[in-house]
Amino acid sequence: MKRYFILLIIVLFSMQLSAQEWVVAPAEAALKSPFAFTDSTRKAGEVIYVANCKSCHGDPGKNNVIQLVPIPPDAASVKMQANTDGALHSKLIQGRGAMPSFKNTLSSTDLWRVISFMRGFNPKYVQEVAVPTIGSASAQNVSIKLNWNKTSGQVEALLTSLKENIAQPVAGAEVKLFAKRFFGNLPIDEARKSDALGKVSFNFPKDLPGDSIGNVQLVVKLTDEVAFGEASAEANLTVGVPTNRPALTDQRSMWGVLEKSPVWLIFAYVLAVLTAWGFIAYVVLQIRAIYRAGSKE
Amino acid sequence: MSQNSKDASHDHDHPGHDSTNSRRDFFKNFGLFGAVAAAGGAAVYTGYKYEETKPGANFVRVLTADNRIIEVPKEGFKDIKVDLNQLQKQGREGLKGHRFVMVIDLAKCRNARKCITACQGAHHLRPHEYHINTLVMQESENTAPYFMPKPCQHCDNPPCVAVCPVDATFKRQDGIVLIDNERCIGCRFCIAACPYSARLFHWEEPLVVEADKGTPYNIELNVPQRKGTISKCLFSSDRLREGKLPYCVSACPNGVYYFGDENQDSVTNGTTKETFRLSELLKVNAGYQLMPELGTKPRVYYLPAKNRLFEFKEDKDPVQSI
Repeated sequence: MKRYFILLIIVLFSMQLSAQEWVVAPAEAALKSPFAFTDSTRKAGEVIYVANCKSCHGDPGKNNVIQLVPIPPDAASVKMQANTDGALHSKLIQGRGAMPSFKNTLSSTDLWRVISFMRGFNPKYVQEVAVPTIGSASAQNVSIKLNWNKTSGQVEALLTSLKENIAQPVAGAEVKLFAKRFFGNLPIDEARKSDALGKVSFNFPKDLPGDSIGNVQLVVKLTDEVAFGEASAEANLTVGVPTNRPALTDQRSMWGVLEKSPVWLIFAYVLAVLTAWGFIAYVVLQIRAIYRAGSKE
Repeated sequence: MSQNSKDASHDHDHPGHDSTNSRRDFFKNFGLFGAVAAAGGAAVYTGYKYEETKPGANFVRVLTADNRIIEVPKEGFKDIKVDLNQLQKQGREGLKGHRFVMVIDLAKCRNARKCITACQGAHHLRPHEYHINTLVMQESENTAPYFMPKPCQHCDNPPCVAVCPVDATFKRQDGIVLIDNERCIGCRFCIAACPYSARLFHWEEPLVVEADKGTPYNIELNVPQRKGTISKCLFSSDRLREGKLPYCVSACPNGVYYFGDENQDSVTNGTTKETFRLSELLKVNAGYQLMPELGTKPRVYYLPAKNRLFEFKEDKDPVQSI
C-alpha cells in the first residue's frame, strides 16, 4: 500500500514537472556562440556566474545548490550539460518560476560568457562556434558619441570606427538609447539603425524629468554585438525637464515634527499652556494677597 | 645551560671522593636546576616559536564572498563599528531628492508568496507576522476574485504619524514612513489610525534573539525587533540606500511589483528589471490607489486585475501548502 502511495506521489510530481516544461524553440536550441570559449571568456563568465547564478545554483560540481522546488540543477550536472548551448542561452533569456529572466539584465555576450564558464566543467564538451563568427561586420571597435540637437529636439549618436587611424562612419548598426534611472535604464524611443553617415537620431520625450538643472545621464548601446562587438557610451546631456521638487517633509502638516507643525496648532497650544499656567499663577497671587491681608490685622 | 647539565651527569656518574661533599652537592644541585631550567626554557621557546608560526596566531581566518577561507594579519584588521547614532540620523533623514513609489500589477499575482517570505526573512518576522500580505479580493458576487498584495501605503498624509504621541513613527523626505522601535511605547494609536491595517504589534519576544545580540538597532530594517512595539513595511529602506530594489520586489517570480522614483517618473519591474515611465504605466493600465477618498495620498499604486495571467486558484491554507 505504502509503495503504491509513493508511486502515486512520484507520478503526480512528474506530471507537475512536465506541466511546466521549459520549451525552447528548435531554432533557438541550434543557436551557437559567436565566439570560441577560451580561458578569458571562462574567467569573465565566472564573475557573472558568481554575481547572478551562484546564490541558487551553487558552485559548479560541488552540488551546493539551494533547496527550491524544482531544485535548481548544478551547473556541472549531466542534466544541465545535456542542454545545447542555444538551449542554455534561451533558458537564461526566458527564465521560469523562481529562475529570473536575464533578458534585460545581461547582454547576449555576457550570457555566452556564463555558458562558456559552465562548459568548463564538462570535459566531454566540444564547442561549435557559430558562422559567421564575431567580428564579421566590416567595422570593428565602434565608438559612439552622443549629442543633443536642440533645433530638432533629438538625441543624436554618431558611430565611428578607426580604419588605418582614420575615423570612418559605421552604417547599418542597430543601437538603443536609455536614460539612467535610480533602479535601471529607461528605454528611450525604439532601436534604430545608423545611416550612411553613421548617424542615428532618437526622438526624445519633452517631459522626461532630469536633475535640478535638467541633466539626464544617457546610455547608448550597440545591439548587434555578434557582428560589431560590444560598444556603448554614456553622456550627461541637458535634455530633461529641470526637476527640483521639495522634500516631502518640507510643508507644514499635522504629522510634521515640531518645526513643521501648522502655525495655528503652535499658536493654540502655546495659548492653552499660557492660559492654564496663568490661571494657576493668578490663584497663587490671590492666596498670597489673602495671606498678607490676614497677617496685617 | 646545557653544558651545565652535561657536567652534572658527569659528576653524578663518578661519585667517589668523600671529602666535604659541599662542592659536589653544589654542582649536583646546580646541575639539576640547570637541566630543569634548560628543558623549561627550551619548551617555552619552542612553544613561542610554534605560536608564532602556527596559523591563526597573528592571523584571522576570513571567509570571502567567493567561499575561500583566507588568513588576514591581525595588525591590518579593523573592526567596523556601526554607530547607532549614525544609523538613527540617516534613517530619520532619508535619501535626498527621491520620492519612492511602488506599483502593484494585480493581473500578474498568483499568490506565490515569495514577497512575503523574503520580507519576513529580512525583518526577522514569524510566519504569521506580515509586513506585506496577499489578500483574496472579490468586489461583489458576480465579479472575479483576485489576489492583492498589500504593504504599507507610505501615505503622504499619514494618519499614523499624526497620532503618535512620542514621535516614534515619522515620515522621511523621500516619502517613506518608518518606525523607531527605540522610541515606540507600544500604545498602538497608530494601528487604530491606519485605514489600511498595515501595522502589526509584537506580542511575543522577537523570533531571532541570539543572532541579533549586540547588533545595533537599524531603524531602516527594524532589526533587532523588540517586544511590545510596532512594526510594518519599510519599503526596504536599507536596500534603497544601496540602490537596490526592495526585498519583496526582487523576490517576486511573476513580475507583480514595480518600484521606482516619482521624481524621475520611472519604475523598474523587480522580476524582468525593465524600466517604465510611471505616468505612462498608470495611464495606460488605469492605475488606482487604495481608498484615496480618505485623503491619505498613498505612495502605492495598483494596476487592475484585468486579463489575468493566471487562473485564480484559492488555497484553503496557503501558508501550509508552501
